[in-house]
Amino acid sequence: MTILLLLHLTILIFFPPLLLGFIGKTKAFFAGRIGPPLLQPYYDLYKLMRKASVYSVTTNWIFRAAPMVSLAAILSAGILMPIAAMKPPVQFWGDMILFVYLFALARFVIILAALDTGSSFEGMGASREATFGCLSEITMFLNLTILALLSRNLSLSEIFLGGLSSSWLLVGPVLILVVVSFFLILLVENSRIPVDDPETHLELTMIHEVMVLDHSGVDLAYILYGKAVKLFIFGTMLVSIIITFRTGDSLIDTAFFILEIIAFAVLIGIVESTMARLRLNKVSFLLFSAFIFSVFGFIVILVRGH
Amino acid sequence: MNVWLDAILILIVILGLFIVASTRLGTMIHIFGLQSLFLGCVPFFLYAKEMELYIIFVCLAAMVLRGLIMPYFLFWAIRHVSVRSEVSPLIGTGTTLLLSGFAIAGAFLLASKLIFPVKIGSDMVIPSSFSLIIMGFLLLVGRNKAISQVIGYLVLENGIFLFAILLLKKMPLLVEMGILLDLFIAALVMGIVVNHISVEFNNTDTTQLTTLKD
Repeated sequence: MTILLLLHLTILIFFPPLLLGFIGKTKAFFAGRIGPPLLQPYYDLYKLMRKASVYSVTTNWIFRAAPMVSLAAILSAGILMPIAAMKPPVQFWGDMILFVYLFALARFVIILAALDTGSSFEGMGASREATFGCLSEITMFLNLTILALLSRNLSLSEIFLGGLSSSWLLVGPVLILVVVSFFLILLVENSRIPVDDPETHLELTMIHEVMVLDHSGVDLAYILYGKAVKLFIFGTMLVSIIITFRTGDSLIDTAFFILEIIAFAVLIGIVESTMARLRLNKVSFLLFSAFIFSVFGFIVILVRGH
Repeated sequence: MNVWLDAILILIVILGLFIVASTRLGTMIHIFGLQSLFLGCVPFFLYAKEMELYIIFVCLAAMVLRGLIMPYFLFWAIRHVSVRSEVSPLIGTGTTLLLSGFAIAGAFLLASKLIFPVKIGSDMVIPSSFSLIIMGFLLLVGRNKAISQVIGYLVLENGIFLFAILLLKKMPLLVEMGILLDLFIAALVMGIVVNHISVEFNNTDTTQLTTLKD
């Protein structure tokens, strides 16, 4: 049991940057380039870790605390989430609410730090992040509510470890709605391409990247690492909704899971290579669609009385 | 089988949402055609156990008329009057989308309260048809261009057809007449309204019809 917990934590801590590597490789493939090596995100993090941070004189402790708090919140959310067929280290009744709000906390401190710099550019990014954040949070909750209704449980580990396999046969269409809605939310939350461009730091349509312009060195490494972990957790969730089949053997399940999550990274890469970024006022439209997808699923579930 | 029927009905409603959400006329027509093709599949699943020749005929007629011929005419119409997109709808697309969401919720609530004399194969047919009808209405009242109003009318008709499928066993001729009526209405609307507006006013904006002219 302890070994499984260690395996869970190891994957959670060391695997996420590799996802970014796979996304980068996919995008490079579509662009006809060789692209950076798969381990490039790790090199970037290592490089940033060795550098000293520079702090503006107008900032105070909030700015310094924010990267640590957000990374801690995201990692705490990660230990509530079951990976492959492994039970998470921490689980209790109703932990899905904590799960959502840990991400909200991470977003909140980053927004505070962005406002703390006093830069109007970062304030603009913070305002956008807050707007899209509050729209995506409702949808996220609605999706989790549907899953909780289907598996009759309020704990993430119970929902994703076996609670959903029978639901695919009974209400498969609703789960497809949840998957689509959740994928849209995932793109918004992780500032991927149709919403935001993770590559550049200096463009007027930036949402997330613009808020971290003043962070440097270790702080920036924390934020980038936190983003990778967040993407990994969301990907894990998506993969666990779609693929409920488990062999029962932890190692084989883990191996399958790694393959699934790499496929997820490639999918994100394909979406990013084939789509252009949406105009900013269209992003709320995307969020509306995600919301209506999940509302529709929710209504069907209520009518069916599951 | 029920899951497949559910999937198709949900897909039909979602395609309706796509029509409501888009402003490009070409996209709307494409999606409408796709929706009609899926709609034509519904009786196959609803009456899978008691299949008869006339059911297949009605399905094929609906698919060909609504899924292929109607989009063809609509494309001809937008080429003819050369409009590409709904520039400034009366009700914005985001608002319409949100209203459609409420409409779907209302349709499902309403349908769960209704009591029907006969047993229906799936409890999602009626709410889906209500949703389509309301979405068609929203398009009719919320858009300015005559062609998007025609599409709204056709979406409404799709909703009525979905409801009529339930009567297919009892009175197949009536349903068949309904399908043909749609084609007649569409030809009428397109031939008279679209052409006359564009001849009179050089565009197909229906808001111009409210201004008096002698």
